[in-house]
Amino acid sequence: MNTHDHKVKANKEPRPPKACGWMAEFENEHDLLHAAEKVRDAGYTKTDAFTPFPVHGIDHALGIKPTVLPFIVLCAGLTGLCTALLMQWWMNGVDYRYIISGKPFGITPASIPVSFELTILFSAFTTVLGMLALNGLPRFSNPVFTNPKFDRATDDRFFLYVDSSDKYYNRESVRELLSSVHPASLDEVVEDATPSELPRGILLGSLLLVLAGLIPAAIVLNMRASFSDLPRWHVFFDMDFQPKKKPQQTTTIFKDGRSMRPQVPGTVSRGQLVAEDPFYLGYDPMKVAALGNDKQVYVSATDAPESFFQPPVAGDGGTALNLPWLDKLPIEANEANIKLGKVKYETYCSACHGYSGFGDGLVAKRAASLGQDTWAPPTSLHADRVQKQPVGQIFHTISKGQGKMASYASSITTEERWSIVLYVKALQRSRNAKIEDVPVEQRSSLTDAPSTPAN
Amino acid sequence: MTSKYDLETIELPNKWKASPLFTGGLILLVIGAVLGLFVRGQEAGPDAELRFLSHSYLANFMFVMTIALGALFFILVQFVARAGWSTSIRRIAELIMWTIPILAVLFIPILVMVFTGRSFPYEWNAPDQIHSSVIKAKIDVGYLTKEWFTLRSVLYFALWSAMAYFFFGHSRKQDESGDVEHSLARQKWSGPCIMIFALSVSFAAFDWVMSIDADWYSTIFGVYVFAAGMMAFFATMILISIALQNAGKVKAFITVEHFHDMGKFMFGFIMFWSYIAFSQLLLYWYGNIPEETFWFAVRLKDGWQYVAYALIPLHFAIPFLGTISRHVRRHRTGLTFWAVWAIIVHWLDMTFLVMPNAGPLNVLALAGHFLGGLGMFGIFLSFFLMRASKVPLVPMKDPRLPEALTYANPIL
Amino acid sequence: MASVTSSYNPREIDNTGEIPGRRAPLITGNQTYSSVTEMVCRVAEDPQPRIWWLLFGMSSLTAVMFLGLIGFLIYKGVGIWGNMNPVFWAWPIVNFVFWVGIGHAGTLISAILFLFRQNWRTSINRAAEAMTIFAVICAAIYPGIHVGRAWLAFWLLPYPSLNLWMWPQFRSPLLWDVFAVGTYASTSLVFWYMGMIPDLATYRDRAKTPLKRFIYGLLCLGWTGSSRHWLVYEKAYTLLAALAAPLVLSVHTVVSFDFAVSQLPGWHTTIFPPYFVAGAIFSGFAMVVTLLVPMRAIYKLENLITLRHLDNMNKIILATGSLVGLAYGTEFFMAWYSQNQYESFTFINRAFGPYWWAYWIMVTCNVISPQLFWFKWFRTNLLGMWIVSIFVNIGMWFERFVITVTSLSRDFLPSSWGYYSPTLYDGLMFFGSFGVFLTLFLLFCRYLPTIAISEVKGVMSASDHADHVQAAVAAELQGKDPHAAHGHGH
Repeated sequence: MNTHDHKVKANKEPRPPKACGWMAEFENEHDLLHAAEKVRDAGYTKTDAFTPFPVHGIDHALGIKPTVLPFIVLCAGLTGLCTALLMQWWMNGVDYRYIISGKPFGITPASIPVSFELTILFSAFTTVLGMLALNGLPRFSNPVFTNPKFDRATDDRFFLYVDSSDKYYNRESVRELLSSVHPASLDEVVEDATPSELPRGILLGSLLLVLAGLIPAAIVLNMRASFSDLPRWHVFFDMDFQPKKKPQQTTTIFKDGRSMRPQVPGTVSRGQLVAEDPFYLGYDPMKVAALGNDKQVYVSATDAPESFFQPPVAGDGGTALNLPWLDKLPIEANEANIKLGKVKYETYCSACHGYSGFGDGLVAKRAASLGQDTWAPPTSLHADRVQKQPVGQIFHTISKGQGKMASYASSITTEERWSIVLYVKALQRSRNAKIEDVPVEQRSSLTDAPSTPAN
Repeated sequence: MTSKYDLETIELPNKWKASPLFTGGLILLVIGAVLGLFVRGQEAGPDAELRFLSHSYLANFMFVMTIALGALFFILVQFVARAGWSTSIRRIAELIMWTIPILAVLFIPILVMVFTGRSFPYEWNAPDQIHSSVIKAKIDVGYLTKEWFTLRSVLYFALWSAMAYFFFGHSRKQDESGDVEHSLARQKWSGPCIMIFALSVSFAAFDWVMSIDADWYSTIFGVYVFAAGMMAFFATMILISIALQNAGKVKAFITVEHFHDMGKFMFGFIMFWSYIAFSQLLLYWYGNIPEETFWFAVRLKDGWQYVAYALIPLHFAIPFLGTISRHVRRHRTGLTFWAVWAIIVHWLDMTFLVMPNAGPLNVLALAGHFLGGLGMFGIFLSFFLMRASKVPLVPMKDPRLPEALTYANPIL
Repeated sequence: MASVTSSYNPREIDNTGEIPGRRAPLITGNQTYSSVTEMVCRVAEDPQPRIWWLLFGMSSLTAVMFLGLIGFLIYKGVGIWGNMNPVFWAWPIVNFVFWVGIGHAGTLISAILFLFRQNWRTSINRAAEAMTIFAVICAAIYPGIHVGRAWLAFWLLPYPSLNLWMWPQFRSPLLWDVFAVGTYASTSLVFWYMGMIPDLATYRDRAKTPLKRFIYGLLCLGWTGSSRHWLVYEKAYTLLAALAAPLVLSVHTVVSFDFAVSQLPGWHTTIFPPYFVAGAIFSGFAMVVTLLVPMRAIYKLENLITLRHLDNMNKIILATGSLVGLAYGTEFFMAWYSQNQYESFTFINRAFGPYWWAYWIMVTCNVISPQLFWFKWFRTNLLGMWIVSIFVNIGMWFERFVITVTSLSRDFLPSSWGYYSPTLYDGLMFFGSFGVFLTLFLLFCRYLPTIAISEVKGVMSASDHADHVQAAVAAELQGKDPHAAHGHGH
């Protein structure tokens, strides 16, 4: 093989080729090693061997020191490990905390797989790129390629090279030394005769490519900076156009053309069972229509007021809402229920209404002392009109609120509310007790005059 | 002409032949037991001391048994792979393997615990104290009963001893004749033996260690115990080789390349153990199923959590970084240090598997248990020496010995 | 020692057996360095045999069909597959695990066998690594397309996004997969490429046309064979092998975590990581045998990829197949031992439920067929081993199918049970992935060095050297004068 087309064309005057050193060719690795030792012993250091495979012992024969690559890779691996741990800790533990089946945030055993992989990834890429960098590769132009005999360096021949930049280099003495080991051939290495400047065509081509590469970015910038009346390109529809029907749309499936359909008879909505049961309402909704109340009464779970934004109507509670209240307790009036009612009353109600129900709780006292006009004092439970209220109405008051009093339905369960009603009735009875209510044995311990209610 | 391969260098040093390791080991075992006896377990239990002792003995037994099993596996693999590099160290491994029949004797105290109806170390052995239907089912079908447990244990030892006898026997016969048929016979049978080994070691691990907590199960458990044993085996072999060379023996036979390779194997099994241990932990932690996590829960309280957390740096991170460098693996002092480290941390690992079921961590008791472990290791080494005093330390007529003496790790 | 076993193929020499103490030659036929170069370079330099064109035509058509079906899938949606409640993971994930598993053999041969100093790996590692790359490409396609909106698959990556305002969920094994398979693909790629650099230099130096010289010259980065470069290269190779070894274990471990971190019976078991890795190596080696047995015959490489190489690979197939069988046995035992009714039901259901046919195919192909490799005849007969390797891969596909589908189709609540059937598209796409795989492999054979030329030469040199040194030591052991001993030839 005599011709090599390393460059496309040589249109300049070829310079005289520069000599770089001597290359000796050997037929097997043993001769090479032998020669390399001689060269090393003669003091040359800018030497190299070229072999089709790594020859065992060549590092010793030429005096080549071990590479620093392992340490670089170790550092890279540790970097990968830290990066992975930091990334997971910050992304999933700090910045956007996913709650995944109660597992702790931050670093857990689940963080290990990704950490391991990134360690390996960083290490592996550093190994390869580090190897290339330490070897100075890629390097496409190399004087050793000039001689066609060198092609066999990747086949079956072994070459020994002494570079002219070595401090002891002398053209004649090196040639003599190499001849003395009887190589298969001995040639001087010269640089390629073709010009080393980049042809103008390549420069022009690269420039055009770079400019062409800027075009998409320019288009995007233009799009961002400009306005358009046209709708956007919608490439991925995702679930934007769904074949389902929205309310108020027409359809051909039903004769009346409506996609919204009335409820099937017997449909029960959420909470409706609760909404119809007097146990949960305090009144029987089935009897409401019979009352002929001219006020709008909403028979629903929320029993909403007239306007969404208006609070429920304050007042005496007796006429504003004329509902068929339950007048019989739906729970058993036994000691357990009264005890429960007492506990709940004292927890939730006594703050305003006082322990005895006179409306002298601590909150009421405090509010009264502040003297602001936004406060409505809590009703005394022993007032006449409250005494006359059926149990269902008291229940309704607790459940829905009245005036300043909010609804307690979310804090107290239905059964507990009824037990509070029972306890309130017991409290009221205690202010209206007759002598017959006292057991016979205890009557004598009573004082003569029965006490009057506080207000 | 005197050669560095003289026969004198392959004999056990004379002063080792009458070594006090056995008596010394026994004494340590007793001292450790006595120390443990003076410690009351924190839970009120009638047999707290005996419970502690039986668990301690089992843990220490597993500590040395896994090393001997590691030796057996090593031998099997060397023949399946037709390896040459290991020939000069193989006799040492064979001698470790050849302690298996004697270690069967050391298993007897555990069988005594089983046959006297104790609920420790195995809770299934006292069926009237069991409330778990899971364990009851296994007892009722006959799997976890003292008869079948014993039968299976006897079977394991029989199989392992038969394999050890076969491989050691052929090795010794080849010492006389140099006949290649002995190598070929071992090559031929090594494959089926590996299959038997894998099955028997898995089930031995299930029976001897996993059934301590008879409600718990983990399919990877056999692999875990195997991996732990392999690491400790290579560490043991390194220590024995270095000790022999320091006594002036086998200097020419065990080269720096062998140490490099044994170090590589030890490093590899540190990684492999870590991988298996982590897999088991991650899967049970992630699934978070109480039937599976309670084993870890027991080991993450009452003081054992310190052992659990300590195992991560001690059994993985530190020895991993310590033995990662080829320079350390080719350097005798460094290798000695890490081999001793590996053996101690293997003891800690076996302790971690067995002891938490005996009760909360008690430092004094653990110290006694450690002395027991030292004692057990001493006894184990004395068995090794007993076997080693009668045979050459290198299979001189093995046809692959020249390969072992001349191979080299690649350039770098 | 070497005998001609095959009367119709004079190149086939049986070097599987050896007398202990005398290593059988790894390369047969009295090769020299230049004859090795010639044998391997000829594959790319000579015009391709007709069978190459035939296979390439069929495989590229299949690959085009696959790409078309992917387009159809993206257009129509994943409803074209059979995935349905309760089996939401079916063929696509099975195919993914199948291909990823196959990829493991290449890295194992390159890295782990390198660390064990198994010199016979040098003849097969290049083709095996190529197989790995192509298998991982086929594997990686599936997770990308089986998400509902494939065009948003990039959301899996932790890139800062003003649009998304969230990060991937690192506690999910599916995300660990992204990192594991991504790392594996890129690391295998650079490992394969780095290994090819010296051989691409050989191709460059033998190139007869300027275009070939330019392209191979570009690809080999100007490699000269300099010893200083070789030393750094060898160190890098060792480091990469040391990194790739745990990597290959970790990748299929992470894939097994996809299943094992769940709570499904049959999925949630601790032995999955090593069991999956063993299974991956098992199927990978089988695929290597499937590819290499025809390849070495077509390209007349029998002297480099000898019967010993195939024999060793078959032994590894036997070993890993037995490991898989051991894992089956352990799982089965534990299903009883755990007394967990769901676990034991799962295993009974696998064997006798509606998918019993898949289970028994799996057992026959995975546990029984590799046991044939106890017999030397099967290990050394080309047709016998090729058939077994096909069965092994069928079995491993069915294993992933049985694991995935049976546990999903019948889990805790009987009212949720359902039977899964694949659709035509499931099958066609799986078939199509083979087209991609084979097309890439055929292109590899045509254009790239199929055998690691420099590594083979290195091994030849080392074994020559070793023979001489060993002979001297053997003589010394026997008390003879070491310098009088003759070296052993092949």
